[in-house]
Amino acid sequence: MSDHREHRGHYRMRFEGLADGHVHRDPAELAPPADRVPEVRPLRRSAADRATGVHRFETTVAGWAFVVAVEDESRALLREKAGQGAAAGATHRAAVVRAQIPGRVIRLWASEGDTVEAGQRLLTIEAMKMENEVRAPRAGTVESVRVAADSSVELGDELLTVR
Amino acid sequence: MAPLVTVEPPFRRLLVANRGEIAVRIFRTCRDLGIETVAVYSDADAGALHVRLADRAVRLGPPPAAESYLRGEAIVEVALASGAEAVHPGYGFLSEQAAFGAAVEAAGLAFVGPTPATLAGLGDKIEARRTALAAGVPVVPGTDEPLPVGDAGAAARIEAAAGEVGYPLLIKAAAGGGGRGMRRVDAPAELVDAVAAAVREAEGSFGRGEVYLERLVEGGRHIEVQLLGDAAGQVVALGERDCSAQRRHQKLVEEAPAPGLTMAQREELHGLAVSVAREVGLRNAATAEFLSAPDGSFYFLEVNARLQVEHGVTELVSGLDLVREQILIAAGAPLSPPVLEAAARAASPERCALELRISAEDPGRAFLPVPGTITRWREPAGPGVRVDSGVEEGWRVPADYDPLLSKVLVVAPDREGALARARRAIDEFEAGGVQTTLPFHAWLLRQPVFLEGQLRTDTVEREWAPEPLREAAAECAADAVARYLAALDQRSAPDVAPEPPCVDPAGGWRPEPWT
Repeated sequence: MSDHREHRGHYRMRFEGLADGHVHRDPAELAPPADRVPEVRPLRRSAADRATGVHRFETTVAGWAFVVAVEDESRALLREKAGQGAAAGATHRAAVVRAQIPGRVIRLWASEGDTVEAGQRLLTIEAMKMENEVRAPRAGTVESVRVAADSSVELGDELLTVR
Repeated sequence: MAPLVTVEPPFRRLLVANRGEIAVRIFRTCRDLGIETVAVYSDADAGALHVRLADRAVRLGPPPAAESYLRGEAIVEVALASGAEAVHPGYGFLSEQAAFGAAVEAAGLAFVGPTPATLAGLGDKIEARRTALAAGVPVVPGTDEPLPVGDAGAAARIEAAAGEVGYPLLIKAAAGGGGRGMRRVDAPAELVDAVAAAVREAEGSFGRGEVYLERLVEGGRHIEVQLLGDAAGQVVALGERDCSAQRRHQKLVEEAPAPGLTMAQREELHGLAVSVAREVGLRNAATAEFLSAPDGSFYFLEVNARLQVEHGVTELVSGLDLVREQILIAAGAPLSPPVLEAAARAASPERCALELRISAEDPGRAFLPVPGTITRWREPAGPGVRVDSGVEEGWRVPADYDPLLSKVLVVAPDREGALARARRAIDEFEAGGVQTTLPFHAWLLRQPVFLEGQLRTDTVEREWAPEPLREAAAECAADAVARYLAALDQRSAPDVAPEPPCVDPAGGWRPEPWT
């Protein structure tokens, strides 16, 4: 990993609600826009955003609605360095399954201690009158089931963990 | 366009037992006719567009539909107390419930829809299949009795029935609509579980769990016929719509006329639809849905005895205002001269129209509904474009109801022209804060299979691959944000030569400082 000072003034961006990972942008290397430039709107910053130096922007491209969280690349690298020591103990990674839609849990197909295959259904959430099945992101053991049948969940709520 | 003949307001005041874009749509015609409007709403819809556009609005209850928009008795009481003389049910909710229509009429009010007897007969899809057979209209092979769920030995009997129908098949709810309670089954092993899920979904959505089986005809098209009948028993067909662009049995795009049909095929199809409508004594508006098999034959599927979401494309082609005609019929008028003229021209349409449904659904995640707050809402306009919306900027889309937000309708003298206008309108439409179906439409309107009029009901399921599209858009979004920030940095650093910020050929945004 390169030295964080080289990345001062570069941007690290995450797309909220999409896959993990981030993209990097160096303002000096931006090509001129090929197409119509999408409108970018800054979002109100939360206290947590201010504390971590994150700015959030909203933009739509070809109908896709994005919320982009941006931090300075050099700052992100420093933060990662500081975090490495703390994370060293946690070697086995757990996959936290979160609600992708708000709704009502109408059925739990798996309970704590169950061994599940990747893609196996874990629970059913009803939203807007449709049943949506939540499936295991990978094979493993179900632990810490946080919801019960007939309970309501909000977007992003932790449902259970597969380890 | 048919001339809009001025009439005396057929009712002094009308209540719409619905919400969202369809309530707004109906209120607009009421205004045209000089009819005062009454809205009803749940707590989730306080301050909604349909509430603000009505002359008066009455709260029904908490957000769940069962405690608000499905409270038929309470709605009739509101109608009486507010001095309404007629009730329009829209689509969904109580629109096809015979008991509601009967309660409205028993209270001495006009119900803008079919008679309770017709609703009872057609609301049960199994009954509707029998009706079509009685009228000599072909139906898709299937079961003509509800499946014996919960009986002793039910599983074995369901499997036997499925074996007779043949796989792949569809489980459908007798009280169904909008794809709810519907399941595709490819093999016997999935059958019993799928039936149980369909029954649960049907019970949750309609309060009735009866389901039946129907052979899944692959490679077919979904074509439906707009019908209008009056109290004297006169019934006409006003043209057909192709609704083959579907996902999870939910329509995404509809067009009129159906591409590629000959005039003879149109006449045959319209004739079949009118036969079914006569058999049930149709009064007011309904739609007969057909499956068009790859060999060109039509099979009756069901009748939706109400105004459809996609009625607007027929309006654009025929020049009629179907809600106006519905209201006149509900007041006892015979089919109007413009309706009869449009019916006479129905098999030789002179315009093409498309409707694109803008829903709060993520097309990148299997069209899952995504409630949230709309932070950006800019509708398209211009020649040949009509937008029927129930939302506006700042509106929080509730999780309690159907995710349909808006419908973009376009019309042109020919199909190419309509497609061009649809592309223009969709590219102009900006919706932020919640993900909508816009990217899907932008894609579909550029697919050769759609442009050539060859789309089948399973095409979208097979061909829609959103990931590369979303990734490319995300790259572009990252560039846009980086440019925005770079422009800000330049403005706050005077030692750098000032350059114009990001150049927008369309003359769009100017970056502003934020705090």
